[in-house]
Amino acid sequence: MQKVKLHINGFTRTLLVNAHETLLDTLRERLNLTGTKRGCDQGSCGSCTVLLDGTPVLSCITPTIRCDGRKILTIEGIGVNGHLHPVQERLASDGGLQCGFCTPGVVMTAVPFLQENPDATDDDIKEALSGNLCRCTGYKKIIEAVRHAAEDLRHG
Amino acid sequence: MSTSSYFLPGTIDEAVSLAKAHPNDHVFYAGGTDIQLHVKQRLIKPNTIIDLTAIESLKSVSIQKKNMKLGTMVTLDQIVKNPDIQKFYPILAEAAKSIATPVIRKSATLGGNLKVSNRCSFYNQSFDWRQSVGSCLKDTGDICQVTGGLNHCYSRNVSDLVPALIALNARIMVQTSTGINEMPLIDLYVPDGLIVHTPLGVGGIITEIFTSDEPSKWWFKKLRLRKSLDFTSLTVAATVNKKDVLRVCVNGVSMAPVLVETGINDVTLEGLILQVKRACKTVDNDYMPLKYRREMISAFITDCWNTFH
Ligand SMILES: Cc1cc2nc3c(=O)[nH]c(=O)nc-3n(C[C@H](O)[C@H](O)[C@H](O)COP(=O)(O)OP(=O)(O)OC[C@H]3O[C@@H](n4cnc5c(N)ncnc54)[C@H](O)[C@@H]3O)c2cc1C
Ligand code: SF4
Ligand code: FES
Ligand code: FES
Repeated sequence: MQKVKLHINGFTRTLLVNAHETLLDTLRERLNLTGTKRGCDQGSCGSCTVLLDGTPVLSCITPTIRCDGRKILTIEGIGVNGHLHPVQERLASDGGLQCGFCTPGVVMTAVPFLQENPDATDDDIKEALSGNLCRCTGYKKIIEAVRHAAEDLRHG
Repeated sequence: MSTSSYFLPGTIDEAVSLAKAHPNDHVFYAGGTDIQLHVKQRLIKPNTIIDLTAIESLKSVSIQKKNMKLGTMVTLDQIVKNPDIQKFYPILAEAAKSIATPVIRKSATLGGNLKVSNRCSFYNQSFDWRQSVGSCLKDTGDICQVTGGLNHCYSRNVSDLVPALIALNARIMVQTSTGINEMPLIDLYVPDGLIVHTPLGVGGIITEIFTSDEPSKWWFKKLRLRKSLDFTSLTVAATVNKKDVLRVCVNGVSMAPVLVETGINDVTLEGLILQVKRACKTVDNDYMPLKYRREMISAFITDCWNTFH
């Protein structure tokens, strides 16, 4: 067991973890941050995506021990001053979600992507989200919603 | 509760010494995107984890004119986006872009890809699945579930960077506790899933990969069901260099990458296909049918040939 300090959504948490504990288990089972979803639990669906020092990672295949001293942002912390992030707003208003299970992962993938690529085309968005599986929407509405969010972000 | 130890060495020497101190139960951790899948499926349970992420010297990228030298902790995302790699070695950028997903590529490294574990539809399954079908040679069983054999494992080498790099005539630097060696990348692979990476040596770290064989023509294609997420069912990478040497490397259909190297004018299409097929030991251990994969080897090589001629 090793002590790790995690800076999660602006709060600091200190925990003892073993070398095999994944960040997904830590978030969901120990810190009750259940917004991050467990889909496949083996790196193949994107629903567990969180940001580690600003970079998206799959928390189901990220050992918590590697996150010592680092900043983690989950879906619970992506909103700004109590408001949904524009990507969340658009997914909700434009039909970009149905059951919502894949949505936290889509948001945590799309937000850093749009920061790096504010002028992304539909094809770019499709490629960026190609690791996020959704069993409900058929993807079209997700892509549209993310494009609309990009427009919202560009126009402030 | 697990008793695994975790180490975060700051230098290659330190990592190599740690591996020497734990010869039988250590694993080097790069991006972890391959290891973690094996941990999840209870295929491995490493006791000593040696995390390479703090070793800055493994992260260098140097491309001077046609000389490319890459540290093995460079991520696949960096390879895809590097303008010099796109310019001088586009086949490598294309190969990296074909791997996993954009998010996984931000963690996955070059070194991990060179040593990605061989795949087989009877082995890379959940614990329950394997229990119901029966374990195999590569796991805890005593026969190969595909061939019924007792000695060899036919699991497939599925790296997509490896065929591109072998087609580029790449060489690697390997550091072990006894010293530093240089070798052609192709020599890293033995055609048997049980011993595939043994030339690396126990506790060997691949530190660098390099090439200066800038191709005048290149070709790369990967066969899979979806354009994202799926591992390869067949990858063909080929180059022609300035001296008209054709290098065709085929992966995903045999236990190790298969290379055919010849003068472009010294071989016919039929001869090339025959040489490749003879060297591939393709068995029925992928979700795509065996006959189809064998036919696609011919189809890909024909397509490549037509592009080059
Ligand atoms: C959904 C999904 C899809 C994938 N698709 C593909 C695909 O299409 N093609 C493909 O090739 N791979 C694929 N992968 C596997 C994997 O992501 C890549 O192969 C990746 O490049 C592995 O790199 P890593 O740094 O994560 O390796 P790790 O998991 O950290 O390590 C893999 C192996 O390499 C060893 N290793 C790492 N670095 C070194 C070094 N410098 N010296 C010696 N040994 C070292 C490790 O000890 C381990 O044995 C996929 C994975 C997932 C989860
Ligand atoms: S080829 Fe045979 S021994 Fe190798 S992993 Fe598959 S079933 Fe096991
Ligand atoms: S739960 Fe992590 S990728 Fe599916
Ligand atoms: S909205 Fe149901 S899985 Fe995407």
